Amino acid sequence: MSLIEAKGLRKVFRQAVKEPGLRGAVKHLFTQRYVDKHAVDGIDLTIREGETVAYVGPNGAGKSTTIKMLSGVLVPTSGEIRVDGFVPHKQRMENAVRIGAVFGQRTQLWWDIPVRESLNLLKDIYQVPEDAFRRNLDAFVELLGMEEFIHLSARKLSLGQRMRADLAAALLHDPKIVYLDEPTIGLDVSVKQKIRSFIKQMNRDKGTTLLLTTHDLGDIEDLCERLVIIDHGRIIYDGSLQAVKDAFARERTIHLQLGSELEDPSLLFSDLPEVGMDRTGPDRLAIRFDRFRITASEIVKRIITQADVADFHIDEPNIESIIRRVYEGSLDLELAAESPVAASREA
Amino acid sequence: MKKYVSLAVCSMQNTLSYRLSFVLNFLGSFIALLATYFLWRAIYDGQSELAGFDWNQMKSYLLVTFFANSMLSYYSESGITNKVMDGTVAMDLLKPLNFQKARLAESLGSCVLEGLLSALLISVLAIAAFGIPMPVDGVSGILFAISMLSSILVKFGIVYCTALICFYTTSGFGVIWARMAVTNLLSGALVPFAFFPDWLRNVAMALPFQGIVNTPTTIFLGMSDTREAILLIAVQWFWIAALWLLGRSMWGWAVRQITIHGG
Repeated sequence: MSLIEAKGLRKVFRQAVKEPGLRGAVKHLFTQRYVDKHAVDGIDLTIREGETVAYVGPNGAGKSTTIKMLSGVLVPTSGEIRVDGFVPHKQRMENAVRIGAVFGQRTQLWWDIPVRESLNLLKDIYQVPEDAFRRNLDAFVELLGMEEFIHLSARKLSLGQRMRADLAAALLHDPKIVYLDEPTIGLDVSVKQKIRSFIKQMNRDKGTTLLLTTHDLGDIEDLCERLVIIDHGRIIYDGSLQAVKDAFARERTIHLQLGSELEDPSLLFSDLPEVGMDRTGPDRLAIRFDRFRITASEIVKRIITQADVADFHIDEPNIESIIRRVYEGSLDLELAAESPVAASREA
Repeated sequence: MKKYVSLAVCSMQNTLSYRLSFVLNFLGSFIALLATYFLWRAIYDGQSELAGFDWNQMKSYLLVTFFANSMLSYYSESGITNKVMDGTVAMDLLKPLNFQKARLAESLGSCVLEGLLSALLISVLAIAAFGIPMPVDGVSGILFAISMLSSILVKFGIVYCTALICFYTTSGFGVIWARMAVTNLLSGALVPFAFFPDWLRNVAMALPFQGIVNTPTTIFLGMSDTREAILLIAVQWFWIAALWLLGRSMWGWAVRQITIHGG
């Protein structure tokens, strides 16, 4: 059973066009011209219960707009949405108790009252039973390290603290679905780590379905099994994260530090044209290769016989470089569709 | 229901945490009250009665007006408008709350403090300087209290509908100022209706604004008998219901206009 179902989802914003200068401004008083901006342009998305989905794309691709429509904040221009059987913007109340959301840029805490009071208020608003509330609150305080700031008002919190408090606020009523819109934006590594492991635990223990937008690829690799890439309001890839990696992340780089200088390293792999080599220093080498054509051990073996290797490490390409290439259009996603493990759907 | 009560309590806490700005805002309207007081005193200089008001009645009128106006002050009003303006309305939509009821709960929450503070100030003034006549008997006292509470609800209806207009204008300041100007004139806050030309008084009586100041002051000053007072309160409640329904349909319309931009 799919929990979230969206068909032909479309959102068009009408934007006023003002001509430049005073003349344009005066003119705008009398005649308004508008252009339509297609923020989301025909999206089909099905998410099953318990799935963890990363929803990524460049700025302005339509990620937040989609999430806002799914959560009932925005009314779609056309298309259908069902979330757990409800139409979010029509059955707002029914939908609201089933979802939790964190919009990284905004807080849902009350600005001027202590976090604890905010959470208490949310308990009443969502009608969370007292014992469930206690249990959740205790667990959240511990997992997210909230003791130090739970008595402070939201306005006094640092960004990292606020985000943790917001996350607790969004999950307090055990929602089936959690929408996270850039939950780790601007956070330091340790807070990011806390937030990620918290989300992971919620997904594991409670089967919470997760839809996450982010620009942080660590989030995706850490949290999500499925990757949906959107650009210009259309889905350009929808499939497993592993499939993308398999299809596009074939290249590996071995960085070597040599104990003694090699006279002519280019001779090393002269018989293998697909292996590339860069001299990154007098005693450093970087060797690029396709892991499906030659293994790392073969490469290392060959070098050790020829040179004195002091140290080496292997770089795997991160999802970042892959997604960047997709954004830039230099990766053909049809390839992913042909790869047996990937299931790409044309938007 | 419980959630709305909690919301009201939180709103009270919120107001308390802004106590300085709240008090300053309050002092601002108090200074305005003093200005009107001295203005009217100058007008009454040498006159025993104007448009059926003697000086003592005028003083009572000013104090009751002050009380009515300090409820749902600019401070709580801008709270509703800001929600619309800065997009936090999106966060409200995520919660299982009725927007209108939630705003009412919040407004009433901060009203309690506003009411207490201005009641305190007025009592001090009344005892120290003004010396105002209280309503003559218990019945009109109770009727006054009811009309005062109803006045808050009428004002909420107006404020709420005005705030929703901001969905359309996407700017709150002008709308609030326009609302304040109209309300001040047509509620009788600026000048008692008795000073109006007939046509303007008729217009004002046909509109909801009179329920905010004119109704409670009329009852307080004993210018209406019990039957008339009950009628005035009934009119207030007509407007409360009408504005509530208007607000509800405006909200339905406004929700469709929400255009919060996001990436």
